[in-house]
This record gives sequence, C-alpha cells and structure tokens, in this order.
Amino acid sequence: MQSTEVCVLRIVFAVIGLMSLSSSTCLAQPKNDDTFATQKADAEKFFRTRVTPFIKTYCLECHQNRRPTEAGLSFTPALDTPGHAAFSEKWKKAAARVKAHDMPPDGLDQPTADERQMFIEWLDRVKYLSPKDPGPFVIRRLTKTEYGNTLHDLFDVDPQVAASLPDEVSGAGYLNSLSPIQLEQYLEISEAVLNQVVAPNNSLPTKLQQQLFGKTPASNADYQTAARKVVQSLAKKIYRRPASGTEVDTLLGVFDLAQQNNLSYTDSLRLMLKAMIVSPQFLFITPADEVKTENKIVPLDDYQLASRLSYLLWATMPDDELMSLADAGKLHEPPVLKKQVQRMLADSRSRALFDGFGAQWLGLGNLKSKTFDPDKFPQMTDDMRTAMYDEVRLYFEGIVRENQSITNFIDSDYTYLNEDLAVIYGLNQSLTGPEMRKVKLSDRNRGGILGMPGVLASTSFPNRTSPVIRGVWVLEQVLGEQVPSAPPDVPALAKQDQQSVAKLTLRERTELHRSDAVCANCHRLLDPIGFGLENFDAIGRWRERDENGHPIDASGELPDGSRFSSPQELKTMIGGRLDDFSRNLVEKLLAYALCRKLEGYDEIVVDQLMQEIAQDQYRMQTLVIAVVTSYPFTHRRIE
Amino acid sequence: MSKNTTINRRTCLKGVGAALALPLLDAMGWAEASESKTFKPPVRLGFMYMPHGVIMDQFWPKDAESFLTSPPPALDSLRPVLDQCLMMKGIAGVSNGPFRGAPHALELSTWLTAALPNPDKRDEINISISADQVAANALGAFTPLPSLELATMPQTWKENQAGLNEAYYSHCSFRSPTQAVPAEINPRNVLNRLFREKGKDAGQTPTGMSPLDRSMLDLVLGGARDLRRSLSPTDQRKLDEYLDSVRSVERRIAAIEMRQKDAALEKAGVRSSRRHDSDSPPIEIKIPEGDKRSEYMQVMCDLNVLAFQTDTTRVCSYIGSTPNGASYPELGFSDKHHSTTHHNNQAEKVNKVAAITKFNIDQFAYMVNKMANLREGDGTLLDNCIMMWGSGLEDGDRHTRANLPFILAGRGGGSIKTGRFLPNVKGNQGDLLTTLLTCAGVPVDRPIGIATKQIREISTTS
Repeated sequence: MQSTEVCVLRIVFAVIGLMSLSSSTCLAQPKNDDTFATQKADAEKFFRTRVTPFIKTYCLECHQNRRPTEAGLSFTPALDTPGHAAFSEKWKKAAARVKAHDMPPDGLDQPTADERQMFIEWLDRVKYLSPKDPGPFVIRRLTKTEYGNTLHDLFDVDPQVAASLPDEVSGAGYLNSLSPIQLEQYLEISEAVLNQVVAPNNSLPTKLQQQLFGKTPASNADYQTAARKVVQSLAKKIYRRPASGTEVDTLLGVFDLAQQNNLSYTDSLRLMLKAMIVSPQFLFITPADEVKTENKIVPLDDYQLASRLSYLLWATMPDDELMSLADAGKLHEPPVLKKQVQRMLADSRSRALFDGFGAQWLGLGNLKSKTFDPDKFPQMTDDMRTAMYDEVRLYFEGIVRENQSITNFIDSDYTYLNEDLAVIYGLNQSLTGPEMRKVKLSDRNRGGILGMPGVLASTSFPNRTSPVIRGVWVLEQVLGEQVPSAPPDVPALAKQDQQSVAKLTLRERTELHRSDAVCANCHRLLDPIGFGLENFDAIGRWRERDENGHPIDASGELPDGSRFSSPQELKTMIGGRLDDFSRNLVEKLLAYALCRKLEGYDEIVVDQLMQEIAQDQYRMQTLVIAVVTSYPFTHRRIE
Repeated sequence: MSKNTTINRRTCLKGVGAALALPLLDAMGWAEASESKTFKPPVRLGFMYMPHGVIMDQFWPKDAESFLTSPPPALDSLRPVLDQCLMMKGIAGVSNGPFRGAPHALELSTWLTAALPNPDKRDEINISISADQVAANALGAFTPLPSLELATMPQTWKENQAGLNEAYYSHCSFRSPTQAVPAEINPRNVLNRLFREKGKDAGQTPTGMSPLDRSMLDLVLGGARDLRRSLSPTDQRKLDEYLDSVRSVERRIAAIEMRQKDAALEKAGVRSSRRHDSDSPPIEIKIPEGDKRSEYMQVMCDLNVLAFQTDTTRVCSYIGSTPNGASYPELGFSDKHHSTTHHNNQAEKVNKVAAITKFNIDQFAYMVNKMANLREGDGTLLDNCIMMWGSGLEDGDRHTRANLPFILAGRGGGSIKTGRFLPNVKGNQGDLLTTLLTCAGVPVDRPIGIATKQIREISTTS
C-alpha cells in the first residue's frame, strides 16, 4: 500500500503553508459606488506601483507570452488586464506558490519577506478590478435526480422511473451533456409515465387524467378550443412558465397531427403531453422572457428565479405557491424570497440540499459504493453505510431546519445514531433498532463532522486510515484551502530498506515523506491534521492502539506553532478558524447555487455575504438566504 | 396506437421547413452489388483500453525478426492471430503540459483525442472531439448506431487532479469539445440497444417509436428551433446539444428503416447486396450470471463483435477499466490495479502488473480471435476491422508515455500490413489516430490533436 500513499502524496504534494492565506479578514464591503470606485483606484495603483515591478523582476522571465508557456502560466496578459476573470484562479495559485517559497525556484533571485507578503496581499485587492458581473446563467438541463423528482411532482410516478438514465458526473456545478442515447431514454421514460397517467382507450379515465385533460367535449367541433385550453394550463406547469404563443401553436400542431391520424381526443392530448415532456422547455430550465439585446445584464424573470430556487433547495419543480408569486411578479422582492427560503427549508423536500450539496461538500458521495476490505471491516454492510450517511444528513438537516449556527458543524454535543452506528461509537447497550435518533454525546472527541464515521470512512483507504487524505479533506473541504497541483518531477521516495519500513508505525512511515526537504513543505501542514484524527480507525471507531499494537500518537503542531494532542483539541483549533470555515461554506454553496466556479466579482459578493451572516451569528438559514438573494443568483449576464 | 396512423414522413418534414438533414439513404455504405462487381464489406474501427501502462520488457517484442516466432509473454494469447497484428514502438503520447499533477485524468481522456483539456476551462469538459467520434460522424449515417461505447465500471469518479473535471477520469470518447459520451456498462442494455426486442407491433420501429412519435418529434424539433431564436448565444449553444441529439435519433431511425427494407427484400427472394451466403451467422450472446471479471469483459467483447458483424455500428470504444482501478481476484490477489503499478521495481508488484496486463490482453485476444474465425465476404470479420488495444501510459510507475503501448489487430480491409513489429517508428498519438481513421476510410479534414503527419509505415502502400 505504500506506493498508493506515494501517489496520493504526489497529488497533494504542493500543499503549502496556506493556513492563513485565505483567512485574511474580508475588507469592508463597498457601501456605495464611491467607496467601490476608491477601492478600485487603490487596487489599480497597488498593482501598478508594487505588483507589476514584482512580476517583472521575479516572474516574467519564464512566465511570459511564448510557446510553450512555462507551466501554462503567462503574466503578459495579466499585466494589461489584471482584473480579468480568467486570471483570478491563477492569482490564487501564484500567491500560494510564492507564499510557500516554491516560486521563484531555487537558484533564481528571491524576493524579500516583505515583497512576498505584498504579493500575497494583492489577492485581497485584485477583486476590486472586476466589473460588477453576475456571470451567465446558461440554460441547464435537469439532472437525473431533478428530472425524476419533477416527473413525480407532475404525474405522481415513482422518481425511479428515471433510473435508466446514465449517472451524471459533476464538476464545478453540472456537467450536462446530452447524448442521443439519453434522448431515446427520455422518449421511453415519457411513454412509461404516460402509460401510468392515461388509461387505455375504452377504459375509465384515471383521476389524474381527468385533472389534466378535463372533460372530452361533446362535439368534435369543440376539440380545438378545448385542446387550446388544456395546452395553456399544462404547458405552464410543465414548462414552469407561461408558454409563448408560438409554443402553444407548436403543441396544438401535435394535437392536430394526432387528430389527422384518427386518434381519439384523449389520445391526441396524450401525444401532446408526450411532446411537452420531451421538449427542451421541460428538460431545460429556460427563461420566460425573450432576451433584449440592448442590456448586457438582466435580472432573472420571476419564473426562472422560481425554478432556480426550487431546484437548488428541493431538486424539483416550483410548487404552486412559488408559481403564484411569480405570476404576481413578487418573487424577486428580497423579503418575499427570504420568506420562501424559510418555508422551503422547513419542508421535507429540502433534504435535496444535503443529497445534492451537503454530501458532495463533505465528500460522502462515494460512501455507498466505496470498497472496504471485507475481512477487516465486515461491519461495512449496506445498512451500516446508510446509517453513516444518514447521521451526517440528519445532522446537516438539523442545523438547516433549526437555523443553528454553522459552528455546530465543527463541534456540538449531540448526533444521530441507530443500533448499528452506536456500536461504532462504542455505545453498544444504549440503543436498539434501525431507526436513527438524536443522541446526546459526552465524549468530547465526537460531536461535529470531524468525528463522524461517515466522514472518517470516506477519507480512508479500504483497509486502513490515511492521515494524508484526512489532512487534505480538512484543508479543502472544511477550511477551503487552495491545494495546488503537484510540482513537476516529484521524485519518488528514496528506496528504503523494506524490512525496516515494515516495522514502523503508520505515523513513522508517513513521517518518512517529510524527511525529504521537497516533501516537507506540504507534509508538515497536511500530516499533523491527519495524525490528529488517528484515534479514529478506517471506519470511525475509537482506538488507543493501531493494528500492530503500537499506541496511537495523535499529537501534532501546525506551522503557526499551535499544538494539539487529541481530536478534541484539533477540533477546537479548527473551530477557532471560523472565518475560514464560514467563508469556505459560503463559497461552496454559492458555487453550487450558481452551477459554476466563482471568479472575479464573485469575491466581492462573498465578502458581502460574509458580513450578512456574521451579523446574524453565522446562522445557517441566514447563509442560504444570503446566497439566494445575492446579486449573481438573481441576475444573469447575456452574452 | 391504432394501425392506420402512418403518415408520410417526408410530407411532415416539409412542414418544418425540411431543416432536418436526412442522410442520403442510397449512399449508405454496403455499395449496391452489381453482377459484375463483388461487394466489399466496410471497415470497422474498435478501441479497447487498459489504464496504468505495462511492464515494458514483458510487453515490447525483442526485435522485428522474433516478433512472430517468440513474442513477449504478454502477447501469448495473441499467437494464433499474430500474423494479423501490427505493433509499433515510438508513438509518443501527449505531453502533460500544465497538468503534470494529473497523469490519470489525462491518460484516458487524451487517449483518443491526442489533445489536452483546455487549461482555462479545466473544471468543465473542454477538449478536442475524439477520433472514434470523428469516425462515428463519418460512418455513423450508414448504420443503426453511429457508434458504441462500452465500459465495465461506472463512470463516476470523485477525484480532482490539477482541478480537472472528474469526467476526464472515466471517459475517452468526446462527441464535441464539451460533450463526453457516456459508456454503457450493462451488457443487457447494450443488447437491447443493438437489437431491440420491442416494436414487434405493427406501428413500431425497432427503436420503440411509432411513426407518429417521430412526426411528433419533428414538430418538437421545430418548436425547439423557435425557442433557440429567442435565446442568448450561450444558451443557444447549450440547446444545440438537444438539437444534435434529436437529429441523431432521426438518422438512426432512417438507417433502421433502410435495413428493414433490405431484410424484406431478402425475404421476398430478391438477392441482398449486403450478405454473402458464406458469411457466418451472427454470434450468440450469453450474459454471465456471476461476477467474474473475465466473463464480464468477454461479454462486452462479444457485444462488440456482434455489433460489427451485423454492421449495427462501425465504431466502438471499449474502456476495459477506468484509471480508478479495477481489481482482479481471478489472478489470486485483490490489490487495486493502480496501487500495483507503483511498483518501484519490487518483483512482487511487477509480477502483479504483468499479470494484470496479460489478463487484459487475453480479453482483447479473445475478441480478435473470435473475429478471425467469423467468415465475411472473401475473408474474415477481422480482415475488415482495425482493432486497437492500448494504454494511455507506458510506465505506470513513473507515469511516462514516450512510447505508448498498443497493439493493432486486423488488416483494415487491406489498408494495414500486419504480422510485423516496427521497433523504431517516429510519430505521436495524433499521427497514429489520424492514420487509423484514414485506413478506415474516414475523411479527415483536420489532424487529430497533436498530429502532424500520417504514419506511412502502417500501410501496404507506403
């Protein structure tokens, strides 16, 4: 297994002392355009007088506009337009490397400590160069889950009707490419749905069918008029916005087509309904208003906002209340939005926020299919995995629904357990039965996501813990650190005497990585965090000794000098970095809500959201409301 | 659906402005046989992938001379068809560029694209269209399916190397720069897709769609075009994915209809242009009950063979496993593929990697041996195929790919000179893919990825 470790090391190799990089306090939010203009002017001056000379002295010789570009990075365009959104990620990475003394490389002129500090501070200013921009909101296709849920809400069918669609792979937001196979599957699924909704000819109509289609007119002559009425009401529900005149005509065209082929009135409506649910207007979230090209930035129309909100919090279509607020043109008003978010989060459908966002954020997405060594961990049955997942889910949902402070993610004195999971916690006697219950915890090493078996198991190897993976998890998922990719040509660990290595503890073996000066830079940061959780085995059970009988040493020191000796103390230290943790959560949720990565102006938006939630004790609903009422969530750029 | 619902499809198409491009039905491959001219089967193109590279000294033949007589151990199972194989050393992979920390995200995604992902949009899918999809675009109109994508592992992999989109770990086929093609991992679904049993009813086509459904779809497509006009340009591009898919389904239906017409003629005693009396009957597919990896991989091989044999498609990519690492309990150890490849030259791990490599080549050999035993036209199915097996890394331990390991099998309808090992070829992965497309008769209007030339040595007409 050592070589696996080596590879993981390679991946995270260049994680550097970023501990405080993103923790710099957010600069005050511009109160008005004047302040913003001043900050912008300051940032421009700072760039011209300080950053530009730094780049010209230390960076440009290698990283300039020529092919092949050194490490894919050229500062030439950035010297002209430092605030360009495409460069914001690069500034972060560059600052990280400079901070870690990774750049400029050894042997070249080195900047002074002050100069390095100046370059890092630039990160807090560059955002003021970005023009106010909500980003695009490209029409997006419903995900498999959303599609199934929406069919359920419309037609009362099992959401599993969508199970045959391929699984989606998500990157930042959604990767949604549509293949011909999928389109055929959409057609098949629509047929299956309609078979449940519409009764066959000559049999009694289903209740839902009566609701959707109304009564069959007595005379053929009235079919057209009746069908038009049906189209208008159905299309609004299915397209999640009023259908345009052209859209109604298209659908009536389908009705006519069926009529010309001697289909009954009901079967004609059925074909029309089928047309609706294979139409892009159903499969994609589309705007109700036609774009007016003179404006580059427009607010979302209320229907589009209703869908965006509903798919974010519920992973399904907007309900009647949202739709009637959109009809009234009121949904975009901040107090209305706020009330709707509160209502929606209280609804059981908001579980979708955990399944879609929470599980992804905390890295639980693969828990159900992850391999565990069956000999070592026979406990990892499907039921156990479900219990582990549900523990984190219920905990997350509790914080959301009870509007608790997000600090409870890091530390609390309760969790949710059933009989299986209680065994993992070592609380064998107290609980029986499969249902999850809220349980008070006295063990201060537990309580909060860092001590949850689901998280601990997701960050382990199949047969043992990995301090490195856990360290990276804490840095990336909890504290939102940038983990840059590996530098070129990472040397393999020097060949070691296999026998002597075999006798070492996992900690000692992992520490070998740090004996190499090149590795040490990141591992002195990564490993201690992971070691701090070593008392939890690969499926989250507490242990005092490792599998070879060596006592666990869960102590460590971080680069800033702070020391800890147990998971509890590590938790306290992480809890002390509330600014980083909350900023990370805001950024991740905003990116998820926008279905894209954050860049440029978004940083200013995040500053603003941070202020809003800090003023309300970091309450979770406040955070969600802040995201939903934010400028980029309620507006879009038209390109 | 009642029986008398047929409507004239072309009439309907006219209704939506005839904007739907139908393929030229008369020119759909399998050239009409005249009495004087013998018919020539089409060339098919198949790709099969194994991640993480090989043990070099057990994979590469010693020299050109000994290739046929004493091939390296990894190629043992290919001995019966070695005279129909070609190996070349010296084809360089794409360099990692700014993604040095992401060898495994790149090995599969660059394999058929010969190109790097766009570094500025690394968290999205943004890479060149892959060679198999270039082929599918050209050859797909002739067959019920434009291409077939197979895999044996779910294509969801949650890891993020160098910020690259997760789909890069598990996809090798890209329909457009922004669309990864999902592969099918369930053999039963593949079988259904190839030869749908539904649609036996009067009004239905083998796709399960009635003619009326198709007319409805035409109207929906017209509506989608109206919608497109009201959208902003970025939205329009997104909607184009939908329009492309509908068109592709339409094309597939058209191809199936032509097949049915053909079959009906044959049944009525009119001589079919497409089959020889001596052609082997379609092979039988047995879907395995257990979970043995060899059986799973082989049934996917069978499906590939059957799809080619019946000319259901002419292009197939088959991801034998993805870089997140299958394990091979049949070989007597449970290590994950990936962890064994970081062997640091320890004998035990080296042996395991060699065994896994041989296991994968055995499955490829199973497939091409089968093809070599199926009669088609004047020769065998394999004669008319170009089957490539390979990996996106050469040395999985060090993540290098100066000499991509790959094996070609099949003569590509006479365009490839086989039975040779060329130890010193100069070229890159793009050159190779471009050359293979040319051999398959695919017009290549621009080079694949980093290609700069054709590999002339491949061909009999050098």
